[in-house]
Amino acid sequence: MTDQSKAGESLLTGLGGSALHAYRVAGALLLTLVSAWKSSRAPGEGAREVCRALTVRQIFYTSFQALSMISIVALFVGATLTAQSEILGGPLQRETTGRVLVTVVVRELAPLITAIIVAGRSGTAIATEIGVMRVNSEILALASLGIDPPRFIVWPRVVSTTVSVPLLTIYFSTMAVLGGFIALFFIDSHAVAEWRSGAVLGLSVIDLPLVLVKTVGLGAIVGWVCSYYGFEVGSSPTEVPQKASRAVVQSLIACIIYNAVITMVFYGLLVGGRLQ
Amino acid sequence: MNPPEAPAPYDLVRVELTDSQRPSKKRKEREPGLTLDRVDFDYHGHVILSGMDFELHRGDSAVITGQNGCGKSTLLYVAAGLIPPKRGAVLHAGHPLGALFPSARVQRGLRVGFVFQEGGLLANLDVLSNVSLALRYHYDVLDLDEGALSARAEAALETAQVSRNDWHRQPAHLSFGIRKRLALARALAIQPNFFFFDDPDVGLDPRTAQVTHQILCTLRDDPEVTLLVATNRPQLIERLEVPGFSLHGGHLASHSGKSSLPPSTRPQR
Repeated sequence: MTDQSKAGESLLTGLGGSALHAYRVAGALLLTLVSAWKSSRAPGEGAREVCRALTVRQIFYTSFQALSMISIVALFVGATLTAQSEILGGPLQRETTGRVLVTVVVRELAPLITAIIVAGRSGTAIATEIGVMRVNSEILALASLGIDPPRFIVWPRVVSTTVSVPLLTIYFSTMAVLGGFIALFFIDSHAVAEWRSGAVLGLSVIDLPLVLVKTVGLGAIVGWVCSYYGFEVGSSPTEVPQKASRAVVQSLIACIIYNAVITMVFYGLLVGGRLQ
Repeated sequence: MNPPEAPAPYDLVRVELTDSQRPSKKRKEREPGLTLDRVDFDYHGHVILSGMDFELHRGDSAVITGQNGCGKSTLLYVAAGLIPPKRGAVLHAGHPLGALFPSARVQRGLRVGFVFQEGGLLANLDVLSNVSLALRYHYDVLDLDEGALSARAEAALETAQVSRNDWHRQPAHLSFGIRKRLALARALAIQPNFFFFDDPDVGLDPRTAQVTHQILCTLRDDPEVTLLVATNRPQLIERLEVPGFSLHGGHLASHSGKSSLPPSTRPQR
């Protein structure tokens, strides 16, 4: 066999292996979500109450405890965007500056940056916590007690990120606009009225379904992917940081792709680029 | 479940206890308890259980012995329905566990108590919450109100002799012996009808080991509880006086005779 054919064979083997791995991961990811959803519908009033309390607590951890971080990031992002628009547009383009800020922040930046923050903060925590539970046999212990791990562990976390990302996105958008307003106030306090009218024009009713679909999807991706990688941990503690890191990277990639696809589908196909 | 076939090339593994083997048991009818039907299990090709048939009737008890790493813990996990076998079926009281969520098992009256060799305690819950979690999760199935739930959790902790001073501490702040007793209390609280205990007295001081042995003897004598214990401790095996099985190469071999102690571990007198 020549070197060329050997290289070709090894390339094919590598591609086949990658495809099989991707297929296996996709199947396991789907199984994680389906079993969590199915178990959440299982009967049991006590189970429902315990899991509801857990979900509320998870929402508190994911959303309320992230407010300070979201505030800082959003204020500075809004201020930076306004300063850049001011540099580019100058005093004659103040209305456009306000419009650009609101459009860019609400449609694109707020959902994506919020999802990135939730993935970095809560996604790491989810994957690490579940991984440590796997290592300590806590998942097996739950099953032995008649507690469904997908319902008790996965579902509350997926629901919490799915609820938290839309809420935090609204908060992020508000704080970013506030940051832009403050920045402009320091640049030229007389320009605020013009800038504000532009900001109001930047908002459109058609943005609402887009933002909702985006944020719910992004939140679900973070909780789902990070839970899956937490369950991927075997019996060794050294796997926990490895899987946690992979969980965050994979969920971020998935979020960025999902965000782009939804934007293109929504504005390219559904709205047909009519929105100005 | 597949019908029994010709005798396997290995020793008898289907337990048919006689009254003389365990006189304290009162149950007369032979109702199904724990059944392993041609169970295979391996870790990445390393065979742990191979075509295993095993049956304990309701209320019966047995001890599993074997060298370290032979798969005693895995056998207990599979028998308790915590991990699915690669092939074959595991049944509790005649119900195949494969398709059932853990909560569905409890709803069918299949309550499992499992004490792990190590770990298994929920690290973010204190002692009392560890014990009461399953009771709270199944309060409607077990028909418990808040008072009965607390009383049962407290009774389990007292049976396992976990001091009240420790009830609001987290497992990480407890000694190994107390953690082991806490795990035992948690398993007892649900009033299991299938009890699995992995290395009950390893690392315990004599007093704690004595408490554990006493509780195991009580479970052994309970006609509602099917008990499976993995241990190599001669004192415990002697005290339990139940049929013993040695796990080797993925197969179980029975130790015949009144004592369940395998010859290699019989204490010198």
